[in-house]
Amino acid sequence: MVEPVRFVRRQERLGSATVGMAGEVHPLALAAMQQTGTMVSQRTGHGSQHFLRGGLSAPITVTWEITAACNIACVHCLSSSGRRRPRELTTQQALALVDELAEMQVFQIHFGGGEPFIYPGIWQVLERCSNRGLVMCISTNGTLITQERARRLKQFEPLYFQVSLDGGTPETNDSIRGKGVFKRALRGLELLAAENHSLTVNSVLTTYSFYELDRLYEIAAGFGAKLRVTRLRPSGRGKDVWGALHPTREQYREFADWLGAHPDVLTADSFFHLNAFGNKLPGLDVCGAATATCCICPEGEVYPCAFFQALEFEAGNLHEQSFKEIWHNSATFAYYRSMGAGACSGCGQYNVCHGGCPATKWFVHQSLQIKDPECVLV
Amino acid sequence: MSQSLAIYRLTPEVKIRRESFGGILYKYGCADRGAMSFINSPQLIEFLLVGQQQYQGDLSAAVESRGYSVSSKEKLYRALDDLARRGYIQIGE
Repeated sequence: MVEPVRFVRRQERLGSATVGMAGEVHPLALAAMQQTGTMVSQRTGHGSQHFLRGGLSAPITVTWEITAACNIACVHCLSSSGRRRPRELTTQQALALVDELAEMQVFQIHFGGGEPFIYPGIWQVLERCSNRGLVMCISTNGTLITQERARRLKQFEPLYFQVSLDGGTPETNDSIRGKGVFKRALRGLELLAAENHSLTVNSVLTTYSFYELDRLYEIAAGFGAKLRVTRLRPSGRGKDVWGALHPTREQYREFADWLGAHPDVLTADSFFHLNAFGNKLPGLDVCGAATATCCICPEGEVYPCAFFQALEFEAGNLHEQSFKEIWHNSATFAYYRSMGAGACSGCGQYNVCHGGCPATKWFVHQSLQIKDPECVLV
Repeated sequence: MSQSLAIYRLTPEVKIRRESFGGILYKYGCADRGAMSFINSPQLIEFLLVGQQQYQGDLSAAVESRGYSVSSKEKLYRALDDLARRGYIQIGE
Protein backbone atom coordinates (compact mmCIF):
# COMPACT_ATOMS: atom_id res chain seq x y z
CA MET A 1 0.00 0.00 0.00
CA VAL A 2 1.04 3.58 -0.51
CA GLU A 3 1.93 5.32 2.70
CA PRO A 4 0.34 8.74 3.06
CA VAL A 5 2.84 11.56 3.12
CA ARG A 6 2.08 15.10 4.17
CA PHE A 7 2.99 17.59 1.51
CA VAL A 8 3.14 21.31 2.04
CA ARG A 9 0.13 23.00 0.53
CA ARG A 10 1.02 25.33 -2.27
CA GLN A 11 -0.48 28.77 -2.33
CA GLU A 12 0.86 29.97 -5.63
CA ARG A 13 -1.70 31.04 -8.11
CA LEU A 14 -1.39 31.90 -11.74
CA GLY A 15 -3.31 35.06 -12.43
CA SER A 16 -6.88 34.65 -11.24
CA ALA A 17 -7.00 30.94 -11.91
CA THR A 18 -5.94 28.24 -9.52
CA VAL A 19 -3.86 25.89 -11.57
CA GLY A 20 -3.90 22.17 -11.49
CA MET A 21 -6.90 21.55 -9.27
CA ALA A 22 -9.32 18.95 -10.53
CA GLY A 23 -12.12 20.61 -12.46
CA GLU A 24 -10.22 23.80 -13.15
CA VAL A 25 -8.22 24.63 -16.21
CA HIS A 26 -6.27 27.76 -16.92
CA PRO A 27 -8.36 29.87 -19.31
CA LEU A 28 -5.57 30.21 -21.89
CA ALA A 29 -5.01 26.47 -21.91
CA LEU A 30 -8.73 25.77 -22.08
CA ALA A 31 -9.20 28.12 -25.02
CA ALA A 32 -6.21 26.66 -26.85
CA MET A 33 -7.37 23.08 -26.38
CA GLN A 34 -10.96 23.86 -27.35
CA GLN A 35 -9.78 25.57 -30.53
CA THR A 36 -8.44 22.24 -31.77
CA GLY A 37 -12.00 21.05 -32.28
CA THR A 38 -13.58 17.69 -31.68
CA MET A 39 -11.42 14.73 -30.85
CA VAL A 40 -11.12 11.79 -33.18
CA SER A 41 -13.19 9.12 -31.47
CA GLN A 42 -11.39 6.25 -29.84
CA ARG A 43 -13.10 3.85 -32.23
CA THR A 44 -11.78 5.57 -35.31
CA GLY A 45 -8.35 6.74 -34.14
CA HIS A 46 -5.46 5.40 -36.19
CA GLY A 47 -2.26 3.65 -35.14
CA SER A 48 -1.10 4.29 -31.58
CA GLN A 49 -3.80 6.94 -31.19
CA HIS A 50 -6.43 4.20 -31.09
CA PHE A 51 -5.00 2.95 -27.80
CA LEU A 52 -3.90 6.22 -26.23
CA ARG A 53 -7.02 8.31 -26.66
CA GLY A 54 -8.47 9.00 -23.26
CA GLY A 55 -5.25 8.09 -21.49
CA LEU A 56 -3.98 4.82 -20.07
CA SER A 57 -4.67 3.59 -16.54
CA ALA A 58 -1.20 4.88 -15.62
CA PRO A 59 1.74 6.31 -17.53
CA ILE A 60 4.09 3.88 -19.26
CA THR A 61 6.99 6.17 -18.46
CA VAL A 62 7.17 9.10 -16.08
CA THR A 63 9.84 11.70 -16.66
CA TRP A 64 10.84 12.94 -13.24
CA GLU A 65 12.95 16.06 -13.13
CA ILE A 66 14.03 15.41 -9.60
CA THR A 67 16.01 18.62 -9.12
CA ALA A 68 16.53 21.83 -11.04
CA ALA A 69 20.09 22.06 -9.77
CA CYS A 70 22.69 21.58 -12.46
CA ASN A 71 26.42 22.06 -12.67
CA ILE A 72 26.29 23.08 -16.33
CA ALA A 73 23.98 25.44 -18.21
CA CYS A 74 22.97 24.17 -21.64
CA VAL A 75 21.64 26.89 -23.89
CA HIS A 76 18.66 24.74 -24.93
CA CYS A 77 17.76 23.32 -21.48
CA LEU A 78 14.08 22.44 -21.67
CA SER A 79 13.55 23.12 -17.99
CA SER A 80 15.82 26.16 -17.63
CA SER A 81 17.80 24.34 -14.97
CA GLY A 82 20.56 25.84 -12.90
CA ARG A 83 19.80 26.39 -9.23
CA ARG A 84 17.94 24.15 -6.83
CA ARG A 85 14.38 25.39 -6.34
CA PRO A 86 12.99 26.12 -2.88
CA ARG A 87 10.10 23.69 -2.81
CA GLU A 88 11.76 20.66 -4.34
CA LEU A 89 10.38 17.37 -3.03
CA THR A 90 12.15 16.04 0.04
CA THR A 91 13.65 12.59 -0.03
CA GLN A 92 10.74 11.32 2.08
CA GLN A 93 8.25 12.74 -0.38
CA ALA A 94 10.21 11.33 -3.28
CA LEU A 95 10.22 7.85 -1.73
CA ALA A 96 6.46 8.01 -1.21
CA LEU A 97 6.07 9.02 -4.83
CA VAL A 98 8.10 6.01 -5.97
CA ASP A 99 5.76 3.78 -3.96
CA GLU A 100 2.73 5.40 -5.53
CA LEU A 101 4.08 5.03 -9.06
CA ALA A 102 4.86 1.37 -8.36
CA GLU A 103 1.34 0.80 -7.03
CA MET A 104 -0.04 2.29 -10.25
CA GLN A 105 2.12 -0.12 -12.25
CA VAL A 106 4.09 2.60 -14.00
CA PHE A 107 6.75 0.70 -15.91
CA GLN A 108 9.63 3.13 -15.99
CA ILE A 109 10.90 6.29 -14.38
CA HIS A 110 13.15 8.50 -16.40
CA PHE A 111 15.16 10.67 -14.04
CA GLY A 112 16.28 14.01 -15.36
CA GLY A 113 16.67 17.52 -14.12
CA GLY A 114 18.80 19.41 -13.62
CA GLU A 115 21.48 16.87 -12.97
CA PRO A 116 19.97 13.96 -11.02
CA PHE A 117 23.21 13.21 -9.19
CA ILE A 118 22.98 16.58 -7.44
CA TYR A 119 19.68 15.58 -5.76
CA PRO A 120 20.58 14.73 -2.14
CA GLY A 121 18.32 11.68 -1.91
CA ILE A 122 19.10 10.17 -5.31
CA TRP A 123 20.66 7.00 -3.89
CA GLN A 124 17.70 6.28 -1.65
CA VAL A 125 15.28 6.95 -4.48
CA LEU A 126 17.14 4.60 -6.83
CA GLU A 127 17.23 1.93 -4.15
CA ARG A 128 13.48 2.24 -3.61
CA CYS A 129 12.83 2.03 -7.37
CA SER A 130 15.00 -1.04 -7.57
CA ASN A 131 13.18 -2.68 -4.66
CA ARG A 132 9.82 -1.89 -6.26
CA GLY A 133 10.82 -3.29 -9.65
CA LEU A 134 10.62 0.00 -11.50
CA VAL A 135 12.84 0.35 -14.54
CA MET A 136 15.14 3.32 -14.07
CA CYS A 137 16.72 5.52 -16.66
CA ILE A 138 19.02 8.33 -15.61
CA SER A 139 19.55 11.18 -17.99
CA THR A 140 22.84 12.72 -16.95
CA ASN A 141 25.40 15.12 -18.31
CA GLY A 142 28.00 12.57 -17.22
CA THR A 143 30.31 15.06 -15.60
CA LEU A 144 29.67 13.94 -12.02
CA ILE A 145 30.26 10.25 -12.65
CA THR A 146 33.22 8.94 -10.70
CA GLN A 147 34.65 5.45 -10.56
CA GLU A 148 33.19 5.00 -7.10
CA ARG A 149 29.73 6.11 -8.23
CA ALA A 150 29.84 3.98 -11.37
CA ARG A 151 30.59 0.94 -9.22
CA ARG A 152 28.01 1.79 -6.58
CA LEU A 153 25.33 2.15 -9.25
CA LYS A 154 25.80 -1.50 -10.24
CA GLN A 155 23.67 -2.56 -7.27
CA PHE A 156 20.55 -1.11 -8.88
CA GLU A 157 18.63 -3.08 -11.47
CA PRO A 158 17.17 -2.51 -13.95
CA LEU A 159 18.98 0.73 -14.63
CA TYR A 160 20.32 2.38 -17.71
CA PHE A 161 21.88 5.72 -18.54
CA GLN A 162 21.50 8.40 -21.10
CA VAL A 163 24.60 10.55 -21.29
CA SER A 164 24.11 13.74 -23.25
CA LEU A 165 26.31 14.83 -26.13
CA ASP A 166 24.91 17.46 -28.45
CA GLY A 167 27.62 17.20 -31.00
CA GLY A 168 30.26 14.79 -32.18
CA THR A 169 33.03 17.33 -31.64
CA PRO A 170 34.00 19.52 -28.67
CA GLU A 171 33.26 22.61 -30.75
CA THR A 172 29.67 21.72 -31.53
CA ASN A 173 28.87 20.10 -28.19
CA ASP A 174 30.49 22.74 -26.01
CA SER A 175 28.84 25.62 -27.85
CA ILE A 176 25.59 24.23 -26.48
CA ARG A 177 26.54 22.48 -23.25
CA GLY A 178 29.47 24.57 -22.03
CA LYS A 179 33.22 24.73 -22.28
CA GLY A 180 35.00 21.48 -21.52
CA VAL A 181 31.80 19.47 -21.15
CA PHE A 182 32.49 17.25 -24.18
CA LYS A 183 35.65 15.89 -22.63
CA ARG A 184 34.07 15.44 -19.20
CA ALA A 185 31.03 13.67 -20.64
CA LEU A 186 33.28 11.24 -22.51
CA ARG A 187 35.05 10.51 -19.23
CA GLY A 188 31.68 9.79 -17.62
CA LEU A 189 30.80 7.45 -20.47
CA GLU A 190 34.14 5.74 -20.08
CA LEU A 191 33.60 5.15 -16.35
CA LEU A 192 30.06 3.84 -16.84
CA ALA A 193 31.13 1.60 -19.72
CA ALA A 194 33.96 0.21 -17.61
CA GLU A 195 31.34 -1.08 -15.16
CA ASN A 196 29.26 -2.54 -18.00
CA HIS A 197 26.30 -0.27 -17.43
CA SER A 198 23.59 -0.17 -20.06
CA LEU A 199 24.22 3.07 -21.94
CA THR A 200 22.86 5.35 -24.58
CA VAL A 201 24.43 8.52 -25.88
CA ASN A 202 21.60 11.04 -26.05
CA SER A 203 21.87 13.79 -28.61
CA VAL A 204 19.45 16.59 -29.43
CA LEU A 205 19.35 17.07 -33.18
CA THR A 206 20.28 20.60 -34.21
CA THR A 207 21.17 22.19 -37.49
CA TYR A 208 24.81 21.84 -36.41
CA SER A 209 24.86 18.36 -34.87
CA PHE A 210 23.09 17.09 -37.99
CA TYR A 211 26.46 17.08 -39.75
CA GLU A 212 28.01 15.02 -36.96
CA LEU A 213 25.50 12.19 -36.73
CA ASP A 214 27.95 9.62 -38.09
CA ARG A 215 30.57 10.77 -35.61
CA LEU A 216 28.07 10.55 -32.73
CA TYR A 217 27.16 7.07 -33.86
CA GLU A 218 30.83 6.08 -33.77
CA ILE A 219 31.34 7.61 -30.33
CA ALA A 220 28.38 5.70 -28.93
CA ALA A 221 29.53 2.46 -30.50
CA GLY A 222 32.97 3.01 -28.99
CA PHE A 223 31.43 2.77 -25.53
CA GLY A 224 29.20 -0.15 -26.43
CA ALA A 225 26.27 2.25 -26.30
CA LYS A 226 23.38 2.98 -28.57
CA LEU A 227 22.87 6.42 -30.02
CA ARG A 228 19.57 8.08 -29.10
CA VAL A 229 18.68 11.17 -31.10
CA THR A 230 15.86 13.41 -29.94
CA ARG A 231 14.04 16.41 -31.30
CA LEU A 232 14.90 19.96 -30.23
CA ARG A 233 11.89 21.65 -28.63
CA PRO A 234 11.44 25.37 -27.96
CA SER A 235 10.88 24.69 -24.26
CA GLY A 236 12.63 26.43 -21.37
CA ARG A 237 15.83 28.10 -22.60
CA GLY A 238 15.28 26.19 -25.82
CA LYS A 239 12.80 28.87 -26.80
CA ASP A 240 15.59 31.43 -27.02
CA VAL A 241 17.74 29.35 -29.37
CA TRP A 242 15.15 27.32 -31.24
CA GLY A 243 15.16 29.58 -34.28
CA ALA A 244 18.92 29.37 -34.59
CA LEU A 245 19.33 25.67 -33.80
CA HIS A 246 16.39 23.74 -35.15
CA PRO A 247 17.13 21.69 -38.27
CA THR A 248 15.94 22.71 -41.69
CA ARG A 249 13.30 20.79 -43.60
CA GLU A 250 15.95 19.39 -45.95
CA GLN A 251 18.04 18.30 -43.00
CA TYR A 252 15.01 16.54 -41.59
CA ARG A 253 14.46 14.76 -44.88
CA GLU A 254 18.06 13.55 -44.92
CA PHE A 255 17.82 12.65 -41.26
CA ALA A 256 14.77 10.47 -41.92
CA ASP A 257 16.80 8.62 -44.57
CA TRP A 258 19.74 8.36 -42.18
CA LEU A 259 17.50 6.80 -39.55
CA GLY A 260 16.33 4.31 -42.13
CA ALA A 261 19.94 3.31 -42.72
CA HIS A 262 20.63 3.09 -38.97
CA PRO A 263 17.76 1.05 -37.51
CA ASP A 264 19.58 0.58 -34.21
CA VAL A 265 19.48 4.31 -33.45
CA LEU A 266 16.83 5.18 -30.87
CA THR A 267 14.65 8.25 -31.14
CA ALA A 268 12.40 8.28 -28.05
CA ASP A 269 9.57 8.34 -30.60
CA SER A 270 10.16 12.07 -30.90
CA PHE A 271 10.30 12.38 -34.68
CA PHE A 272 6.90 11.02 -35.64
CA HIS A 273 6.18 14.32 -37.42
CA LEU A 274 8.66 13.08 -40.04
CA ASN A 275 6.28 10.25 -40.91
CA ALA A 276 4.61 12.76 -43.21
CA PHE A 277 7.58 12.40 -45.58
CA GLY A 278 6.00 9.08 -46.46
CA ASN A 279 8.01 6.46 -44.58
CA LYS A 280 6.69 5.68 -41.14
CA LEU A 281 9.37 5.54 -38.46
CA PRO A 282 9.24 2.71 -35.90
CA GLY A 283 7.51 3.43 -32.60
CA LEU A 284 4.62 5.63 -31.58
CA ASP A 285 3.09 7.76 -34.31
CA VAL A 286 1.35 10.14 -31.96
CA CYS A 287 2.25 12.37 -29.04
CA GLY A 288 2.06 10.38 -25.80
CA ALA A 289 1.84 13.42 -23.51
CA ALA A 290 -0.73 13.02 -20.73
CA THR A 291 -1.76 9.63 -22.14
CA ALA A 292 1.31 7.38 -22.05
CA THR A 293 3.69 9.68 -20.24
CA CYS A 294 3.87 12.85 -18.22
CA CYS A 295 6.45 14.93 -16.40
CA ILE A 296 6.94 15.53 -12.70
CA CYS A 297 8.98 18.66 -12.03
CA PRO A 298 11.24 19.38 -9.05
CA GLU A 299 8.65 21.27 -7.02
CA GLY A 300 5.96 18.68 -7.59
CA GLU A 301 4.36 20.20 -10.66
CA VAL A 302 2.87 17.68 -13.07
CA TYR A 303 2.84 18.54 -16.78
CA PRO A 304 1.74 16.66 -19.91
CA CYS A 305 5.36 15.96 -20.85
CA ALA A 306 8.89 17.14 -20.18
CA PHE A 307 8.73 19.46 -23.16
CA PHE A 308 5.44 21.03 -22.14
CA GLN A 309 6.38 22.75 -18.89
CA ALA A 310 4.03 25.67 -19.43
CA LEU A 311 2.34 27.03 -16.32
CA GLU A 312 -0.97 27.16 -18.13
CA PHE A 313 -0.83 23.39 -18.64
CA GLU A 314 0.11 22.38 -15.12
CA ALA A 315 -2.21 19.49 -14.33
CA GLY A 316 -1.64 19.53 -10.60
CA ASN A 317 0.97 19.65 -7.88
CA LEU A 318 2.15 16.85 -5.63
CA HIS A 319 2.24 19.20 -2.66
CA GLU A 320 -1.56 19.30 -2.96
CA GLN A 321 -2.70 16.05 -4.54
CA SER A 322 -1.48 12.53 -5.06
CA PHE A 323 -0.08 11.62 -8.44
CA LYS A 324 -2.91 9.16 -8.95
CA GLU A 325 -5.49 11.87 -8.34
CA ILE A 326 -3.81 14.15 -10.83
CA TRP A 327 -3.45 11.45 -13.49
CA HIS A 328 -7.07 10.38 -13.23
CA ASN A 329 -8.89 13.57 -12.26
CA SER A 330 -7.00 16.56 -13.66
CA ALA A 331 -9.32 18.58 -15.85
CA THR A 332 -6.31 19.86 -17.78
CA PHE A 333 -5.32 16.31 -18.66
CA ALA A 334 -8.92 15.43 -19.51
CA TYR A 335 -9.13 18.28 -22.01
CA TYR A 336 -5.65 17.55 -23.31
CA ARG A 337 -6.59 13.94 -24.01
CA SER A 338 -9.60 14.94 -26.03
CA MET A 339 -8.00 17.51 -28.33
CA GLY A 340 -8.92 17.48 -32.00
CA ALA A 341 -6.79 17.78 -35.11
CA GLY A 342 -7.04 21.58 -35.38
CA ALA A 343 -5.56 22.93 -38.60
CA CYS A 344 -4.43 19.42 -39.51
CA SER A 345 -8.01 18.26 -39.89
CA GLY A 346 -8.44 16.96 -43.41
CA CYS A 347 -4.71 16.58 -44.05
CA GLY A 348 -3.96 13.36 -45.88
CA GLN A 349 -1.00 12.64 -43.63
CA TYR A 350 -2.75 13.21 -40.31
CA ASN A 351 -3.10 9.50 -39.68
CA VAL A 352 0.68 9.03 -39.66
CA CYS A 353 1.82 12.10 -37.70
CA HIS A 354 -1.31 13.15 -35.78
CA GLY A 355 -0.39 16.79 -35.97
CA GLY A 356 3.07 16.59 -34.46
CA CYS A 357 4.20 18.10 -31.16
CA PRO A 358 1.72 20.24 -29.15
CA ALA A 359 4.51 21.68 -27.00
CA THR A 360 6.32 23.00 -30.07
CA LYS A 361 3.11 24.60 -31.31
CA TRP A 362 2.47 26.24 -27.96
CA PHE A 363 5.92 27.60 -27.33
CA VAL A 364 6.32 28.95 -30.86
CA HIS A 365 2.84 30.34 -31.49
CA GLN A 366 0.88 30.07 -28.19
CA SER A 367 -1.63 27.94 -30.03
CA LEU A 368 -2.48 24.26 -30.28
CA GLN A 369 -4.76 24.35 -33.29
CA ILE A 370 -2.02 25.28 -35.78
CA LYS A 371 0.18 22.87 -37.69
CA ASP A 372 3.44 21.80 -36.11
CA PRO A 373 5.94 24.61 -36.88
CA GLU A 374 8.23 21.90 -38.26
CA CYS A 375 5.53 20.18 -40.30
CA VAL A 376 7.39 18.75 -43.25
CA LEU A 377 4.47 19.41 -45.60
CA VAL A 378 4.44 23.16 -45.05
CA MET B 1 7.91 -24.62 -34.37
CA SER B 2 5.96 -27.75 -33.43
CA GLN B 3 3.83 -26.81 -30.46
CA SER B 4 3.90 -30.28 -28.96
CA LEU B 5 7.66 -30.11 -28.57
CA ALA B 6 8.10 -26.43 -27.92
CA ILE B 7 8.12 -24.80 -24.53
CA TYR B 8 6.86 -21.24 -24.50
CA ARG B 9 8.28 -19.13 -21.73
CA LEU B 10 7.56 -15.49 -20.98
CA THR B 11 10.77 -13.46 -21.07
CA PRO B 12 11.55 -12.63 -17.42
CA GLU B 13 11.85 -8.88 -17.90
CA VAL B 14 8.41 -8.54 -19.50
CA LYS B 15 5.87 -6.52 -17.54
CA ILE B 16 2.14 -6.83 -18.19
CA ARG B 17 -0.57 -4.32 -17.34
CA ARG B 18 -4.30 -4.49 -17.91
CA GLU B 19 -5.93 -1.64 -19.84
CA SER B 20 -9.50 -1.04 -20.97
CA PHE B 21 -8.70 -2.23 -24.50
CA GLY B 22 -6.75 -5.28 -23.29
CA GLY B 23 -3.34 -4.49 -21.98
CA ILE B 24 0.27 -3.50 -22.50
CA LEU B 25 3.38 -5.63 -22.72
CA TYR B 26 6.56 -3.81 -21.79
CA LYS B 27 10.06 -5.16 -21.94
CA TYR B 28 13.00 -3.71 -20.12
CA GLY B 29 14.74 -1.01 -22.08
CA CYS B 30 14.13 2.47 -23.32
CA ALA B 31 10.53 3.51 -23.77
CA ASP B 32 11.39 3.18 -27.37
CA ARG B 33 10.80 1.01 -30.36
CA GLY B 34 10.24 -2.67 -29.85
CA ALA B 35 10.02 -2.51 -26.07
CA MET B 36 6.29 -2.07 -25.76
CA SER B 37 3.14 -3.41 -27.41
CA PHE B 38 -0.53 -2.65 -27.08
CA ILE B 39 -2.55 -5.87 -26.98
CA ASN B 40 -6.22 -5.46 -27.84
CA SER B 41 -7.27 -8.82 -26.45
CA PRO B 42 -8.25 -8.89 -22.76
CA GLN B 43 -8.33 -12.69 -22.95
CA LEU B 44 -4.73 -12.88 -24.10
CA ILE B 45 -3.63 -10.45 -21.40
CA GLU B 46 -5.41 -12.50 -18.73
CA PHE B 47 -3.78 -15.67 -20.02
CA LEU B 48 -0.33 -14.07 -19.94
CA LEU B 49 -0.90 -12.81 -16.41
CA VAL B 50 -1.93 -16.28 -15.29
CA GLY B 51 1.15 -17.71 -16.96
CA GLN B 52 3.38 -15.16 -15.31
CA GLN B 53 1.87 -15.26 -11.83
CA GLN B 54 0.81 -18.89 -11.43
CA TYR B 55 3.21 -20.72 -13.71
CA GLN B 56 6.35 -18.64 -13.28
CA GLY B 57 6.27 -17.70 -16.94
CA ASP B 58 5.85 -21.25 -18.29
CA LEU B 59 3.13 -20.52 -20.81
CA SER B 60 3.09 -24.05 -22.19
CA ALA B 61 2.16 -25.36 -18.76
CA ALA B 62 -0.50 -22.68 -18.49
CA VAL B 63 -1.98 -23.71 -21.84
CA GLU B 64 -2.11 -27.39 -20.93
CA SER B 65 -3.73 -26.73 -17.58
CA ARG B 66 -6.56 -24.67 -18.99
CA GLY B 67 -8.40 -27.38 -20.96
CA TYR B 68 -8.63 -25.41 -24.19
CA SER B 69 -10.21 -26.95 -27.28
CA VAL B 70 -7.86 -27.86 -30.12
CA SER B 71 -8.93 -24.87 -32.19
CA SER B 72 -8.61 -22.47 -29.25
CA LYS B 73 -5.19 -23.85 -28.50
CA GLU B 74 -4.05 -23.36 -32.09
CA LYS B 75 -5.31 -19.79 -32.06
CA LEU B 76 -3.55 -19.10 -28.78
CA TYR B 77 -0.27 -20.54 -30.01
CA ARG B 78 -0.45 -18.36 -33.12
CA ALA B 79 -0.74 -15.33 -30.83
CA LEU B 80 2.16 -16.59 -28.72
CA ASP B 81 4.30 -17.11 -31.83
CA ASP B 82 3.64 -13.50 -32.76
CA LEU B 83 4.70 -12.34 -29.30
CA ALA B 84 7.81 -14.50 -29.58
CA ARG B 85 8.74 -12.71 -32.81
CA ARG B 86 8.49 -9.43 -30.91
CA GLY B 87 10.76 -10.69 -28.17
CA TYR B 88 8.31 -11.11 -25.32
CA ILE B 89 8.40 -14.92 -25.32
CA GLN B 90 11.23 -17.39 -25.66
CA ILE B 91 10.55 -20.68 -27.39
CA GLY B 92 12.67 -23.67 -26.45
CA GLU B 93 12.45 -27.43 -26.48
